[in-house]
Amino acid sequence: MNVIYELLPVSGTTALVALVALALGITAGAVGSFAVLQARSLVGDALAHAALPGIAVAFILSGARDPATLMIGAVVAAAVAAALILFLERTPRLRADAVIAVVLAGAFSAGVVLLTWISASGRGDQGGLESYLFGQAAGAVEADLITASVVMVSALLIVGVLARPLGAVIFDRAFSSSIGMPVRGLEAISVALLVLAVVVGLRMVGAILMVVMLIAPAVGARQLVKRLPPMIVLAALFGGAIAVTGALLSSALAVPTGPVIALVGTATAVLLVLIAPSRGVAWRARRRHVNHSRLRGSELLMALDGTSQTGPMSEEQLAREVGRNLRWVRRGVRSLRRSGLADPDRGAVALTEKGRARAAQDRREVAAWSAWIEHGWRLDLPDAREPDPLNMRRSLGEANLRQLAELGQEGRDRAPVR
Amino acid sequence: MPLFGDAGTIMLTAGLVASACAILGVMLVLRGLSLMGDAVSHSILPGIIAVFLIAQTRAPIWVILGAALFAVICVIAIEWLVATRLVRSDAAIGLVFPALFALGVLGVHQFTADLHIDLDSTIYGEIAFVPFRVMEIAGVDVARGLVVAAIVAVVDIAAVALLWKELKMTSFDPGFARASGFAPAWVSRMMLVLVSITAVVAFESVGAILVIALLIIPAATARLLTTRLLAMVLIAVSVGWAAAIAGYGAAVAADASIAGMMGLMALGAFFVALGVTAFRRWTTESARFREAQGRSK
Amino acid sequence: MTATQRDDAIDIRGLSVSYGGAPVVWDITARFPHGHLSAIVGPNGSGKSTLLRAVMGMQPPDTGRVQMLGATPRQARSEVAYVPQRDEVDWDFPITVREAVEMGRFSRAGWLRRLSGSDRSAAQAAITRLGLDPFASRQVGELSGGQRQRVFLARALCQEPQLLILDEPFSGIDARTQRDVLDLLVQLVRTQGVSVVAVHHDLTTLREQFDWALLMNVRGIACGPVTDALSPENIARAYGSDATVRSAS
Repeated sequence: MNVIYELLPVSGTTALVALVALALGITAGAVGSFAVLQARSLVGDALAHAALPGIAVAFILSGARDPATLMIGAVVAAAVAAALILFLERTPRLRADAVIAVVLAGAFSAGVVLLTWISASGRGDQGGLESYLFGQAAGAVEADLITASVVMVSALLIVGVLARPLGAVIFDRAFSSSIGMPVRGLEAISVALLVLAVVVGLRMVGAILMVVMLIAPAVGARQLVKRLPPMIVLAALFGGAIAVTGALLSSALAVPTGPVIALVGTATAVLLVLIAPSRGVAWRARRRHVNHSRLRGSELLMALDGTSQTGPMSEEQLAREVGRNLRWVRRGVRSLRRSGLADPDRGAVALTEKGRARAAQDRREVAAWSAWIEHGWRLDLPDAREPDPLNMRRSLGEANLRQLAELGQEGRDRAPVR
Repeated sequence: MPLFGDAGTIMLTAGLVASACAILGVMLVLRGLSLMGDAVSHSILPGIIAVFLIAQTRAPIWVILGAALFAVICVIAIEWLVATRLVRSDAAIGLVFPALFALGVLGVHQFTADLHIDLDSTIYGEIAFVPFRVMEIAGVDVARGLVVAAIVAVVDIAAVALLWKELKMTSFDPGFARASGFAPAWVSRMMLVLVSITAVVAFESVGAILVIALLIIPAATARLLTTRLLAMVLIAVSVGWAAAIAGYGAAVAADASIAGMMGLMALGAFFVALGVTAFRRWTTESARFREAQGRSK
Repeated sequence: MTATQRDDAIDIRGLSVSYGGAPVVWDITARFPHGHLSAIVGPNGSGKSTLLRAVMGMQPPDTGRVQMLGATPRQARSEVAYVPQRDEVDWDFPITVREAVEMGRFSRAGWLRRLSGSDRSAAQAAITRLGLDPFASRQVGELSGGQRQRVFLARALCQEPQLLILDEPFSGIDARTQRDVLDLLVQLVRTQGVSVVAVHHDLTTLREQFDWALLMNVRGIACGPVTDALSPENIARAYGSDATVRSAS
């Protein structure tokens, strides 16, 4: 062990804290992925609160404060709470969120009662409460590292083996049940994993904020990948990174660990939601903007190309023609000029050759879309493709587009003359 | 010695707080907002600290405003995350309220080491101290906490009574409500702001974390026992009072946390209600089963 | 376990299901013969989905008995493919089209073992047959309603079933996909002898393409060849009398 510490550029205790945090973060991230995908992440919150009475009872029964005994108490209490939640969820009148809240609050009340009774009856003090609630990285000892590592390895093994069936059950419960998968059993296992991750993470992050460790890595990972195995791996890595960062930071600043990890976690998740490629908020906003520009340009092009007015139009006239406000038209014209589709001459708006060609193309696309709506079902497509109204040619293919035009012509030819 | 005596003051305060929470809790439970209520009651902590640090005051009106502000921040942040459609509501809740609560904890830790706010009291509340902070009303000494609790309870009852039909409509048929011009989202938001105000008051008595017990457990108990809205509110309030009084008595007897005992008593009531519903279901199901057997012969 | 020609694909006797309150399926007796394209028809809320779930053994009935392919639902499971309703699925789940289709091979492979080469090629074949090749690596949420239905069908094909059970396969999808799905089902019945039972509500296509129907509204109203079961009198009994005017035109 000491060899490792010598090699690292930080002090021994800090390295220990960081390693424990790493193990816990990896476990919570991996296990939390399933909780998040099942929309059960707040069950983890309830389990974290429910561990308190277990710890108190363990203390009362054993009279000892050693972490192992207390942890067993926590596991038992959390498991009981988990079983209670699963059982109560099937009660017809109660919704899942109310069940979680009842168990969370009820178990925590019980825990608070026991703790205060313990300290009042002189058997011990409630100083441990703060570190239980808000986490305490600084007090980590080697035994913690061993425990955390064992739990991490076991959890990762179980997750690795059961990822596929668990994923199947979460994705489509009805189908999985129909092919004979033990749906209830797998659900129970995923909850058992949750119990494990929560109880072990309590020491570091505390009960109240533990839930972030389960959620933030999974939410972040989901923004970057589209398959389950990479998501679990990435969530584990994120979890480890968040935990280590938070633990080291809180040690350095001498503040409780839980809050720092919670803030780092939430910040990471929100950041990824914002900037994730193609899925993230920033990207979608940009795509919306691009589409908006394109549609605006298209509308202006077709109006300019098809207008009955001879000679170039002023922006005001154009605005009246398309029925839009002047500012919208001005912006559109500016971008048309930039793309060489309209004359740069500021006096009036006129289309270039390129502009006319584009206008004709856009008109064809609009016609194609109408033809799709009316005749698309008759088209003989080689696969399940569907047209993109913003780019019919690319989505349908040249040949199919031609066929669609023919069907459209047929339809017009056949229509009775009124 | 304040009006009603020490023990009486505590029980009355607890009962009023429990009533206020129960009334709002029924709405939360019916609208699936139980965990949002949990989130909001956690998010008030940074508000309380911020007001204290910035304005250097613990006067109720400012504290309530600060708490309401952070509750609004909490709700807006959660709604924004859900609106991106990249995060589900449970994950959004679990990302936002811990971050806000974390800010509060850090604030308490850093800046109030020498003052009357400490972490323990944020957990347990200080209802035992309520009789010692008195104010004078019409020449009589009344515990300040009791007065504030009474005011909040009245405000909550009034708000729910005023919005009764809107609450009913938006809870049971949001689509129709929207078409009729009542936006369910705004009703929910108002509810949550009320929750934050109530939570601030409850904070003094029972601490941040046990607020959720008083908000949800009596309401869930009522939900099990009836489907009529008015009955639900009455049952929830009764359970709240029972939990308050029994909780105080048990806590004194066992020398344990009053707030914790209240939560535990409420939980007991919940289990009793569970037993009642299970029994009801068992009797109707066996009757129907026997009828079905008789028919298919 | 092979089913003889004399066994029906599905045989239901006196089935009743209730959800803690009123009955949703009441005393239904019906049979669906082998190698037919059969439909379960009825108005909204008539218990059709519940019936399917009870038949599949996913919902315990109050009374009654179900046999599939001459055996209990449990025993027949490996020869039956179930296509549930699309809205019961989380489409934001991180899974690609190919992975979703491959799920159809889980029961063959054993759900803890890796998929074999033949499993993967069976899945690929199903993907191609349903026209999903360009989408195989997409996450399922990126697909339209009709494309998602194709994913479910491809998954069912992978199971190489003798009996295919579908819950509202034609609802909420575009006309072209509806046509393709129907063509696929007809093909499965005619050329591969698969028995198909689908919950369906469009009475016109029913008469044209299906050959057997169970008409129900909580209770069974008629079960037999389509023309007999969906007679105007039976329709009136199931839907209420103004439906006969609509369905006859």
